[in-house]
Amino acid sequence: MFNIPKEKQVPLGCVTPAPVTEQPMMITGNWREYRPVLEPEKCDLCMNCVVFCPDACFQLDEAEEMVVLNTKYCKGCNICINECATDALTKAYELDFEDGVVRLEKPF
Amino acid sequence: MASKVHQITVWARGVVQDKEGRDIANGVASAAGKDGKFTQAFDNYVDLPDRVNVPLRKYARISDEEIEERYEYENEKPEIVIVADATIVKGINILRGMEKGGSLVVATDRKPEEILKFIPNRDLLSTIVCVDAKAICGEQTVDFSGSEGGVDSLGIGQGISAPILGALARCTDLVKLDNLAAVVKNQEALRKGHEQAVMSTVN
Amino acid sequence: MAREMMLSGCAASAQAAKMAQVEVICSYPIRPYTAIMMELAKMVANGELDAEFVHGEGEHAQLSVVLGAAAAGARALTGSSGVGVTYAFETYSPIAGGRIPLQMMIADRALDPPGDFGSEHTDAMSCRDQGWLMGWAENPQEAFDNCLINYRVGEDHRVLLPQFVCQDGYFVSHIPGKVALPDQSQVDEFLPPYSLPHPLDPKRPVSHGPQIRPDQGTIMDMQRAQAMLDAPAVIKEAVDDYNRIFGREISPFVEEYMTEDAEIAFFIMGAHTMTARHAVKHLRSQGVKIGLVKLRFVRPWPTQEVAEALSKFKAVGVVETSTSYGGAMRGGNLLHEVRASLYELPQRPLTTSFMAGLGGEMVPLKEFYYMADILSKAVKEGKTKKTVYWVGFEAEE
Repeated sequence: MFNIPKEKQVPLGCVTPAPVTEQPMMITGNWREYRPVLEPEKCDLCMNCVVFCPDACFQLDEAEEMVVLNTKYCKGCNICINECATDALTKAYELDFEDGVVRLEKPF
Repeated sequence: MASKVHQITVWARGVVQDKEGRDIANGVASAAGKDGKFTQAFDNYVDLPDRVNVPLRKYARISDEEIEERYEYENEKPEIVIVADATIVKGINILRGMEKGGSLVVATDRKPEEILKFIPNRDLLSTIVCVDAKAICGEQTVDFSGSEGGVDSLGIGQGISAPILGALARCTDLVKLDNLAAVVKNQEALRKGHEQAVMSTVN
Repeated sequence: MAREMMLSGCAASAQAAKMAQVEVICSYPIRPYTAIMMELAKMVANGELDAEFVHGEGEHAQLSVVLGAAAAGARALTGSSGVGVTYAFETYSPIAGGRIPLQMMIADRALDPPGDFGSEHTDAMSCRDQGWLMGWAENPQEAFDNCLINYRVGEDHRVLLPQFVCQDGYFVSHIPGKVALPDQSQVDEFLPPYSLPHPLDPKRPVSHGPQIRPDQGTIMDMQRAQAMLDAPAVIKEAVDDYNRIFGREISPFVEEYMTEDAEIAFFIMGAHTMTARHAVKHLRSQGVKIGLVKLRFVRPWPTQEVAEALSKFKAVGVVETSTSYGGAMRGGNLLHEVRASLYELPQRPLTTSFMAGLGGEMVPLKEFYYMADILSKAVKEGKTKKTVYWVGFEAEE
C-alpha cells in the first residue's frame, strides 16, 4: 500500500547488521588532533597499548612481531602514549601526516 | 518569495570546544542582528550530546526578511564555513553543499596552502582566512550552561571564539567588526584576530 | 512593564515556573526537556527561586515525588519527554483521579524504537485518556503562557486536575523566540496561591486512595468526567483574565488565521503552525482561498469551538504529528476527534489527515503547498481520495 521511495527506506523494525571486527558506519578517525607514533626499536611488546586502548586500535601483527595502529578508528585519546612502558609511543600533530584518515561526507 | 538566507556553519570539537563553537554562531547572529537583520543561531541537534573531540556543528543563518522555514536541522548550503580546530579539515568534507565562491575560516598556526592541500574540493572556495586563535587567546572555555536550550551564564567570546570572529569579519560583510565588538567579551582578542588573520584568495 | 527576551522554550518554561513560585520540583534528565530542569536548578542554586529540588531515580519516581508533594500542599512541577512520559504511565490515573493539580512539562520526543530525538506528539497523546488537561505551545511565548494558565485552571477548585503542558522538542524547546516576561506582581494577581481542599495534613488526617467496591468505581470516574465538563468555562475565565492582566489577545481554544471567505483550511497544533502560517500567507497572495485553525487544548477537547470554526470550510486538512496505529482512519489521533466534533452538523466539510513532521522531521513550505493542493482538488471533486496522507513519503498525486 505504501510506495516508499528506495532511498528513504529503513530496515524492518530498524534492525541493523552488527559489526564483527569493525563498525564501518561509525568511523572515528577524524576525532583525533594528535596521533600516537610508534618507534618499533623501542617497543618490547609489553602489550600495554593493546590492552589500554578504549577502541581496540592496536593489534599485534604476529608475522611482523610488532603492534600496529588502526588509524581509521584512533580517536587520539593518547592513553597509549601515557601507558607505554618504554616510551616507544610519542604524540604528533595530525596535520603533519598526509595519510591515515577516511574522509567522511558527514560526521556519521 | 522570501529573500536569501545566508548560511554560516561552524565546526568545532565536542566538549572542549562546544561553548566556543556556540559562541561563534551566537556572535555571528547577534552582530548581524544589530544591523537589523533577521537571524537564527542554533546547535546541530544530532551532534549533541557531544563526546570529547567529536566533530560537531553550530549554525547561524542571516536574512534581510523574516526567516520562514525556521526548523531546518542543518545548513545545506553554507556560504561561510568556520573551523575551530584545524584537524577537522582532514577528516570531513566541510565544504559539502557550498556553492562556488564561498569562504573558509580556520583557526590554525599553519599557512593557508598547508590547510588547502587537505581539501580536495577547494575549487569551491574564493577566500580562505587563517588565524592563530590559540596564540592570541589560548583559552577554550568549557561550560554547558548555554547548551540544549539553556541560558548561557558566561557571555560570548572569552576564549578562542573572539579572535575567530575577528578573523571572520575580514572576509565578509554579513558581520561587522563594530557590531561584534558590542557583543563579544574579549575585545582585545577580537581586534587581534581581525588584524593578525592571514587572508588569501583561492580562485 | 514587561521585559522582552530571546528565550528557548525550555528557558521560557523555567521562567514561568519561577514566576509561578513552584515549591517542589522533581527532575530526571532526558533530552530535549532537560534544559527546563537545568535552568530551574541554576535558579534554585542562585537563590532566585525558593523551592525543593529533588532528583528522582527515574520518571516514575519523578511523578511519585511530585504527587506526594502536591498532595501535602505544595505547588509541584515535573517534566519529561518521549519514553520518559510513557515510563511514568502508571502514575497518571492516580494523580488525576486523586484530584492533585500538579503540572508536568513535556517537550515532545518520538517514542522508541529506535532512538530518535525528534519531536512527535505521540508521547503525550498516548496519555490523553487519563483525565489530565493537555495543550500544546506554538512558540516559546506560548510555552510561558501555558504554564501559568494551566496552573490557574488546574488548581481552580471547580477543576482540580493535573496538567500536561506540551511543546515540540527542539523546534520550540531549543530554538529561541521572543518572550515578553511580565512583572512578578502581574503573575501574583493572575495566579492565586496553591490550596488543595484535601491535603495530607496531620492536623486533619485523611487517606488518599483507599480500596473501593466496583459500584463505587463509576462514581469516581464520573467525578473526573464532571471536572472535564466544568473545565472549559474555567479556561475561558482564566484566559480572559490573562489577556486583561498581561495585555495579550489569546483565544482560549482555537485561533483562526486568514479564515474569512476561506474554502479550505489547515487544522494544526504545535510548532509547525508557524510554518503553516507563512504557507497560508503565500497561498493567499496567489489567490488560493485558504485559512488556518490552530488548536490550543487537546483535553478538554473544545467540541463546540472546533465545530463552529471548521463548519465554514468546504475541506479541512488535519495536520497530525502523532500516530494511532490501527485507528479508525488508520492515521493519527486528531482526525477522529475532529470528525466526532463535526458529526452533528447538517453541513460537514470534507476532512482528511496529513501525517507530517513525524519523527521530528521538518515540514517545509512545499509540503504545505502540496497539502493545500490536495484539499483544493477534493473540493472540486466533492470527495477526498484518501483519509490519510503520509506527506513526503508516498508517491505524490
